[in-house]
Amino acid sequence: MTDKDDVQLRVRLNPAFTPLVTSFAEESAKAFGLDRNSALKLTLACEEIFTYMCGIDKDDKPLTITASNGVYFVQVRILCEVAHFDPRAFNLTAHISAKDEAGLEDMGLLIASRLVDRFGIARTSGDGLEVVLIKEKTYPETADAGPIEVKPLEAVNILTPDPETLKLFARQIVSMYADNLYPPDFRFPGKVADMVASGEYNALLAVDDQGSIGGGLMWRRRIAGKKMVECYGPYLFNQLPESGMAEKLTDALIGSISKTDALCLINEYSTPELPKQYFEQLGVVDYYAPDGTTIPWPFYYRFLKEDLGAQVWAHPALEKFLQDRYKSLFFARKIVLTGYGGETRPPHSVLAAQFIRTQQMVFLRPIWDGMDASQNLSKHIEILRNEGMRIIFFEIDLGHSWQVNFTPALLENGFTPRLILPYAGKADIVIFQYREGV
Amino acid sequence: MPDRPLESLVPEYIKNFEPYIPSKPDPELMKLYGVDHLYRLNNNENPLGPPPVAQEIIRRFQPPRAALYPSGDSYYMRYKLAEKFGLNPDQFLFGNGANEVIAFVIKAFCQEGDNIITADKTFAVYEWVATFSGFEARLVPLIDFGFDDAAMLERIDERTKILFVCNPNNPTGTYWNSARLRNFLDTIGGRQIVVVDEAYCEFVDEPDFPNAMELSKEYPNLVVFRTFSKMFGLAGLRIGYLAGSMEVVDIIRRTCVVYSVNAVAQEAALAAIDDDEHIGKTRKLVHAEKEYLRRELAQIGLETQCGEGCYIMIRLPMNDTLAYRKLMSQGVMIRSMTGFRFPNWIRVSISQHEAMEAFIAGLKRILS
Repeated sequence: MTDKDDVQLRVRLNPAFTPLVTSFAEESAKAFGLDRNSALKLTLACEEIFTYMCGIDKDDKPLTITASNGVYFVQVRILCEVAHFDPRAFNLTAHISAKDEAGLEDMGLLIASRLVDRFGIARTSGDGLEVVLIKEKTYPETADAGPIEVKPLEAVNILTPDPETLKLFARQIVSMYADNLYPPDFRFPGKVADMVASGEYNALLAVDDQGSIGGGLMWRRRIAGKKMVECYGPYLFNQLPESGMAEKLTDALIGSISKTDALCLINEYSTPELPKQYFEQLGVVDYYAPDGTTIPWPFYYRFLKEDLGAQVWAHPALEKFLQDRYKSLFFARKIVLTGYGGETRPPHSVLAAQFIRTQQMVFLRPIWDGMDASQNLSKHIEILRNEGMRIIFFEIDLGHSWQVNFTPALLENGFTPRLILPYAGKADIVIFQYREGV
Repeated sequence: MPDRPLESLVPEYIKNFEPYIPSKPDPELMKLYGVDHLYRLNNNENPLGPPPVAQEIIRRFQPPRAALYPSGDSYYMRYKLAEKFGLNPDQFLFGNGANEVIAFVIKAFCQEGDNIITADKTFAVYEWVATFSGFEARLVPLIDFGFDDAAMLERIDERTKILFVCNPNNPTGTYWNSARLRNFLDTIGGRQIVVVDEAYCEFVDEPDFPNAMELSKEYPNLVVFRTFSKMFGLAGLRIGYLAGSMEVVDIIRRTCVVYSVNAVAQEAALAAIDDDEHIGKTRKLVHAEKEYLRRELAQIGLETQCGEGCYIMIRLPMNDTLAYRKLMSQGVMIRSMTGFRFPNWIRVSISQHEAMEAFIAGLKRILS
C-alpha cells in the first residue's frame, strides 16, 4: 500500500461533522473497490468510533481519518487525541446489556469491532490514539474442479507469474494439498492475485516452455513484524524429487530476499517437498484434524543474516523456557526479566482474534494491557471453545515489555509456550498454545 | 497531531533500501555467544597483520600529529604508485578504503535513469552504492562461479554507464585472464566505464592474470581498484585507491572526497607497498593453509569452490546461518553466504594453522 493511494480528511471532534465523516468513509471505500455492503459496514464502524470519541472528549480536538487502498482491502486509520479511552469493547468477549447505561456508551466500539475484518488500537504519543479498521473485499471461493493433469517437466524456468497463471496455481494447490498445508487465502484465487498485485504476496513458479506449471511457492512479509518473511510450500505437482525443483524454487526465493532488510524466513505451511537442508526446525505445535486426531505441525525457519544477537523482555515464569530454546537454537539473546510490579495499569485489556475457521483455529494477540488480563483470557477461551475452535494460539512479542505482563494469565489459563519465532515482531515472538482438555 | 514529515523528505529508493548492519565488536560477540576466544575468519583479513615496517610506523606515530590534517590527496602515496606502476601521479585517487572509491566512480558517471552492470554473486558494495544512490543495478548470474562476460555485454543499453568486474571474484575466486578482459574491453569500445576491482590481485600467481594497470594505458575507459586492506593488512586503517587514464581520473576527481585518508594510513601504506618479503610470507601461508583446508574438507566430503584469493567457499548440507551460529558458539566466526545469494554455502578466510584447525574441528562437530 503506498501513500499515493491515500485520501485524508481532517475534522474536529464535533458531532456536527458526523455526516462528513460517514460520507468520506463510504465514498473512499467504494472508490477503492469495496462492494456496497462492505463499504457500508466500514462506514458504520467509522461512524460509531467517531461518535464514541465525540462523546468522551468535548474539546473539539482535531481528528484525522486516512483511507487507504490495499487492493484486496480498504484500511481506515483514525488519529486523534483523547485522554480517557477505554478500549474493552473491542474484545471479542464484550457484550453490553441494554439495561446498563454506562455500558451503552461502549456499544459503538463493540459494533465497530464486529463490522470489520481486522482492527488495531494503539497509543501514539501523549494522549494520541490510533484506531485502524480494515475491511477486506469479497472474493468467490475456488470451485473444486479436481487436479489438473501435469506430467514431470523436463526443463523449467523459475519466474514471476502473471495474474491468470497465479490463479491457476492457487486452484492447483487447493485441489492437490490438504487444508493445513496452505494459508486460507489460497482458497480465493482472485484474492491471491490481488494480494500479489498489492505487493503483499510474492510468488515464484517453475514453468516449462509450454506454460505448464510444475510447482511454485509464495511468500510475504509477516504483518506484525517486517523483519520476517513467511513462505508457503513449495508446492509441486507430480514432479519427481530428483528434478531438484524444490531446491531451485527455494534458492530463487532466498536469492530474491537475501539482500532485503528481512532477517528471517519462516515456513509455517511446509509441504513434504520442503528441502529441509535449507531450514531449521523451530519446534512443533499441535494441529487437530476434524476427526480429533493430533497431527504434529512443525515450523521451519532460517536466518537470512548472521544473527547479531538481541535483547528480549521476559517474565520470570518464562525464563527457563526461553533459556532452553535459545540454547538449543543457538540464538544469541540477552534476557531481561520484567513483569507487573504494582505500577498503575489500565483496568481493561484487549485481545485481537484472528480466525482461520476452515481449520477451527484462532490466533489471539494482545492489543492493550489491563488488570483483567486473566479474566479476559478466560472469557475468550470460553467463547472460542463454544464457537468450536479446537486450536487456540496466543502470541506475545518479547520486544514489548507490556506484553510480557500476559504471561501469568496465559499460564493460569492452560496455555503453554511452544515456539519462539525470531524477529517476528518488534523482537522474538513466543507462541503459546491452549492445551485441549485443560 | 501525529504526522510523517521526516518520511516525506526521503526518496523512494532510500525508503526501500536495506541498511548494512556490520557485526558487533569481538568482545560483544564473545559475550553474546559465551566464548572466551574468537577466530575471526569472516572478513579475509591478513592473519600476519601489516608488514613489520608498517607496524613500526604505526607504533611511532606521534600523538600531537593527530591534531593536523593529513595530506588531502595522499600526495606521497600517489607519487610512489606512479613510480611503481609507470604512470602519472595524477592517475591515482585515494579513498577511505575501496568502498569509498566505488562511490566516487558511481557519483561521477551516473545520473537519474542510468544503470550499472555487475554479477549477482559478487562483492556487494557495487550493487549497494548504486541502489542507495537511486541507480539501477543490473545483476548478471555467474556461470561456473565466474563473471559471465557475454551476458554482461547483452545487458548493456544506452543508459548503462559502468560495468563492475571483481577480478578475482570475491567470494568465488574465479578470474578473467588477460585475453578475456581485453576482449571485453574491445567489445565495449570505450562506450561505458569498466571497473576492474583487484582487491585480491596480490594473492594471484597465475601468469595469465591481467596487468590492469598496464591496460589502463590502452583503454581510457578502464578504472582499476586496489586496496591496502587485504594483502597489506591495513584494513583497520581504511585505505584504498583507484587508477586509470588521465581523462577518466580527472572526471572522477570531481566527486572525490579529500582528506578522507588519515595520516597513519598513508604512511603505513607507503612503507608496506615495497615489502615483498611480507607478500611472499602471506602467499606462502595462504597457499599452505588452503591446501590443508582442501584436504580436510575433501575428507569430510564437502563440495568447495576454491579459486584465487585468501578465502575458500564451502557448501554445507545444512543452513549456512545455523552453521554460523553453531561455529560462533565454538569461537569461530565465518561468513555465511546467504547474503551473497549462495544459500547453504559459507566463506572461510585463510588464516594461521591454529585457526584453521579450530575451524575444521568445529565444522566436524556441527556436522556430526
